[in-house]
Amino acid sequence: MTPAVPAGPRVLLLVPARTYRAADFLLAAARMGLDLVIGSDGALPIGGRPVIPVNPADPDRSARLITARCGPVAAVVAADTPMLELAAEVAARLGLPHNPAEAVWNAADKTRQRQRWAAAGIPQPRFEIVPAATGDAVRRAARAVGFPCVVKAVSLSASQGVLRAGNAAAAVTAARRIRHILAAARRPDGEPLLIEEYLPGPELSIDGLLDGGSLTVTAIFDKPAAPDGPTFEETLLLTPPMLAAPVLNAAITTAGQAARALGLTGGPVHAELRIDDRGGQVRPAMLELAARSIGGLCSRVLRFPGGKTLEELILAGALGQPVPGISRHPPRAAGVFMLPVPRPGVLRAVEGRDQAAAVPGITGLTITIPAGQRVRPLPDGDQYLGFIFAEADTRHEVEHALTTARDQLHVIIQ
Amino acid sequence: VSDLAAHVTSVLERSVLPSVIARGGAIRVADADADGVVTLEVTGSPGAALPLAARIEAAVRAAVPQVTAVRLVIPGTSPPGSPAGAADLAEAAGRVLDAEVNPAIAAHRGHVTVTGAEHGWIRIRLDGGCQGCALAEVTIRQGIEPLLRDHLPAMTGLADVTDHAAGTDPFFSPEKR
Repeated sequence: MTPAVPAGPRVLLLVPARTYRAADFLLAAARMGLDLVIGSDGALPIGGRPVIPVNPADPDRSARLITARCGPVAAVVAADTPMLELAAEVAARLGLPHNPAEAVWNAADKTRQRQRWAAAGIPQPRFEIVPAATGDAVRRAARAVGFPCVVKAVSLSASQGVLRAGNAAAAVTAARRIRHILAAARRPDGEPLLIEEYLPGPELSIDGLLDGGSLTVTAIFDKPAAPDGPTFEETLLLTPPMLAAPVLNAAITTAGQAARALGLTGGPVHAELRIDDRGGQVRPAMLELAARSIGGLCSRVLRFPGGKTLEELILAGALGQPVPGISRHPPRAAGVFMLPVPRPGVLRAVEGRDQAAAVPGITGLTITIPAGQRVRPLPDGDQYLGFIFAEADTRHEVEHALTTARDQLHVIIQ
Repeated sequence: VSDLAAHVTSVLERSVLPSVIARGGAIRVADADADGVVTLEVTGSPGAALPLAARIEAAVRAAVPQVTAVRLVIPGTSPPGSPAGAADLAEAAGRVLDAEVNPAIAAHRGHVTVTGAEHGWIRIRLDGGCQGCALAEVTIRQGIEPLLRDHLPAMTGLADVTDHAAGTDPFFSPEKR
């Protein structure tokens, strides 16, 4: 019989059932020759290398099961957000380097982020936390931060449950709508809302890997089509960013400080910032930070020395191997267009894919919602229709390719 | 024919090649015959290109209507090279899957079929709940591939040729976090 187990280090990868990230982590592990043990809440009990069934909502029990079954491993990695807390719990039990569970908890809740950053003096929007979202409390909080303001669910992601409001009455309406969204997402009734100052200005995301609290940047995307509300869908991400080097350096410094203020010490982080350009100042301000890599399929547009992928760097970092940062002058520009859901209904088809894929510069096009599925746009929904990827010599060419390809697509929703 | 090869090369360069290179592989046109059958040679990591086989064929055929079929070959992977050996390998793989995998993945409305074997590479297609499922790669790499390797020492590798984007009933839909 041929041995099926690779000879490389043994790594525990925790994969949630509903993630875009499983295939890229598995491919990275295969390229690195890692011996993977997988814990998941979705895999079936088939042979080969059986997956350990876990429940991320019950980290204590799941961690006990994992430590009993998985044997010695050199690192624990969460493939996506729902597994972050469990990964921290398991790593602590196994004595492996990892973020403390409290730091992961801080990063997972937008109110705790804001409070920690306020205590550490990290630049961010003015904010108010509304524990019980009565109309009066929302009105008071909105007036305190000023208008326009942004009303946010604290536990959702991908811009779900985030609305801009131009006055107190609109803030109350937004809060009511977000309560419905939270109820549909089965979040606890008493979950607070965040009401914060709307920051105008360019938006960017910074991805990096922490090692001992020191941030090595792996990607910076700017968002030339960053929305100004009322909803905040992400669409166009381009790299390298156009911002001037001093602004970029300040943004990187802020992201690193923000991660450390949450207590994060290792692993991937994905930070989103706006460059507050009011009053002639140029000041990076933290919007959000997650203790994971960039979401969706966006990492597929990134390349690193030796042809490595972002997931290979994350796995290498978890194993204590050195991680190269990005070049400020990458050989080619690249970008992603995340296709938002335009209206509610049942997705019947996305036509024009072949024409979109044939646009010069387009390197990939993936539609990730199957035909026949009910879809909801932001702020109610949390899915994107798919992703278009491009590479070219210049940013302008990448942006042109992505928007041209998008224009080839005809989305049929009934 | 040389024009056809040049046209296909151009399509590869501007569509799928960057994705393949990013995953440690490379792909080039080895042959294009008068019937429109294009043979692509995969080098480097086979896993970088073979999972994209359906997408590569779709992209090439959409951009170059003269292409009637796209074949992927991997140099230096010979066993079992004979058509009879390949057929035996495919049949044996099908038996393993029907006995040990399909009864289990039926619980998620899924099914796996062997679509062929060539140069030791077994091609499979996932249907039903597995087509487009967020965890399909986990099922393949942790379950199906090691199971087949245990039963079929002649196997070189396993390629998933499923068009996952066309799945209409995945058991787990991905969500962006």
